[in-house]
Order: sequence, then structure tokens, then C-alpha cells
Amino acid sequence: MSELADKLVDVEGDLHRIAGELEHLPEAFPRRVNADPEKVEKGLAQLVLTLVELLRQLMERQALRRMETGTLTDEQIERLGETFMKLDRRMRELTEHFELEEGDLNLNLGPLGDLL
Amino acid sequence: MIHLYGVVDGLDELPPVRGLDGAPLERRSLEGLELVFSRTSTPPSAEVSREAVLQHAQVVEELAGRSGAILPAQLGHAFRDDGELATAVREQAAQLARCLERVRGCVEFGLRATVAEAGDAVPEAETGADYLRVRLEQARRLDGLVARLHEPLARLARATTRQRRPDGFSAAYLVARKDVAQFREAATGLDRAPEATVVCTGPWPPYSFASEAQS
Amino acid sequence: MSDSGRPVLAHEVTLLELVDRVLNKGVVLTGDITLSVADVDLVYVGLRVLLASVATLEEQRQLAAGEAL
Repeated sequence: MSELADKLVDVEGDLHRIAGELEHLPEAFPRRVNADPEKVEKGLAQLVLTLVELLRQLMERQALRRMETGTLTDEQIERLGETFMKLDRRMRELTEHFELEEGDLNLNLGPLGDLL
Repeated sequence: MIHLYGVVDGLDELPPVRGLDGAPLERRSLEGLELVFSRTSTPPSAEVSREAVLQHAQVVEELAGRSGAILPAQLGHAFRDDGELATAVREQAAQLARCLERVRGCVEFGLRATVAEAGDAVPEAETGADYLRVRLEQARRLDGLVARLHEPLARLARATTRQRRPDGFSAAYLVARKDVAQFREAATGLDRAPEATVVCTGPWPPYSFASEAQS
Repeated sequence: MSDSGRPVLAHEVTLLELVDRVLNKGVVLTGDITLSVADVDLVYVGLRVLLASVATLEEQRQLAAGEAL
């Protein structure tokens, strides 16, 4: 497209982070999860980890909300926090193990937009 | 295979550009809606080339400039034949007509904001309580970002969508043409936090408002 | 970050916004998702069917809650 430069309204800050995401987009094709048997494991791992990540975020968000409204005891906060901390670390390990990036943990549901 | 570029209204002439694989553009009316598409003989594949993306985008852009309203089609959904296309349109005719009216006379602007430590870094916490406390701080920082950047722009838009990102958020705004100058001014005058990276782009054809699932 | 790198990055970022729109947004006329392995369709999920059954479940839940009162 010739007029790409005309589409930039404003930009501020360190762009490297955002620009790096471009590498992933054409690969993360929304509809089909893999055609190559060798990548089956990776494709399934991606799907499973995406769902686990969804649950992790939902649960963590819920815990934060309860923390803010003061409906958790100190002991509960400590126990929940430790669990989430471990879960978060484990998720990162697994994601790295399957050579996935954080941005890969998503599902495009067509008209419903992205899952995460 | 039939490749769709969009649903249009009030299109005078097809633009003098080719579609994917150099195929000519075609138009057809169905259920009171006008579709613009091209035919391709390549089977659909899981990989999408950057070239195809740009070509598709260019056709949509050209169509947008020649129509009263347009619903850009997403790349990657081909139809086996005219029959399949007709069935798909018939099933969604009412929604498509409503969406066309919503985007008439509007363009889309996008915003992407990231904060380095908003959610990306794993809190190096020693206790569970510390971990949650850091998460809470991150969530609050994000809320602050949304309030400073998104809300002033949302006020100038007919519709908006917003979604979380690992380290910030992104948003799209449906802006009436008459409000574009004001929107641009607001976008360049946003109160940014020094550590935030903010990108505002547009005007785009209304991709993010082409279906009812969005906002 | 040097100034000479900035226009290139800005171009990349704008391109990213474009690609994101073309691939992930825009109207989708087929409402279905297919998961396939080696071009064999494994799971066929009709979104309309899914949404309809979620709506039915919700209705049933509300009815049940109403009766329990």
C-alpha cells in the first residue's frame, strides 16, 4: 500500500516492542490449527496452553477483585498468591518448552474477536 | 475459489486495480447488498503471504474511497462457488445491512498502548501476598492508562472496541468523517505517562466494526 | 533509539496495525470454525449452534432459579 505513511497519526515511546509483534502475525493464521503432522504436538500444546492461560487470567483477576474489596483473609491472599505465582512460572516454562511466544497463546474466534 | 473484499453500498465504479493473484475484481448484488470479490484458482492454505495481505488491503482501501459505506471482509475465508457465497450472505443479510448503516460516513482509528512493566514482567515476589500486590499495582496502572488515553478518544467516536494486551491495551474507534479533525487533535494531545509507548493510526476502512460482535 | 531508525520502525508498526486488521478483523461470512489436522476436519464447531445452545442453557438456568424461589 503506497500510503502507509499517511496512516500514522501519532507515535510516542519505544517502538521496538510493538514492531517485534509483526513477525508473528502472518504465522498465527486464525482458522486452521496446523496441517503438518510434525507440528501437531505444538498446535495442540498451543490450544491447551491458551485455554489454561484464559483460566489463569480469569482466576487471577477474580482474586484481585476480592482482594480490593477486602473479602479475603491474609492467609487466603498468601495461599492464592503463591498458587498463582507458581502457575505463572509453570506457564512460562511450558510456553518456552514448546517454543511458543506469549502472543501465540490466543484464539481467534472470527466474528467474536480474540479469546484473550 | 471466490475471495471476498467487502460488502459495499453506493459503489459507483470498480477501482482500476487487480485483486489477489492478479485476478480482476467483480461485483454482484445479493439481498440488496453489493459484494466485491475476485476468483482465484489457488486452494486455500494455512499460510498467508504478506503480499496477499497488502493486496487485499489495497482493494479494500480503493473500494472505501468509492463507496458510501463498506464492510471490509477478513482475509482468509474463501468460498467454493457463487452458491456458497450467496448462502452465506443470505444468512447474515440483516446483520450486514445494520452494520453498513452503522459505519456509513465513518472511518476507523486505532490505538495501541503498552507499558513496559504493566503485565509482562513476572513479579519477582518472595511471598504470595507480594505477588498479588504487584499484580494489583499493574492492574491499576493499566486502568490509569485506559483512563488517560482511551476515554478522551472514545468520547469522540460513534463506537469503540477495546481489548487487553499482555502489556497494555489496544482499541479501535469508529469516527464520523466530520469529527476526524477533532479526533486527530485529541489523539496528538493525549496525556501520556512517560513510560508508555502509544501508537495511533488511521484513518482505516472500518475493519473492526464490520460485524456486530464488536462493541 | 536513533532518529534514523524511527521512520522504519514507525512504518513497521503501521504495517502491523494494517495486517492485524486484515487478518483478524473485518466481516466473516462463514460463521464456523474448523480445526483440522493434515486437511482432515477433526472438529466442526458451528458458531451459531454454539451460541444458540449457550442461550438455551442460560434460559434453563434462569427458569430453574425462578422455580427454586
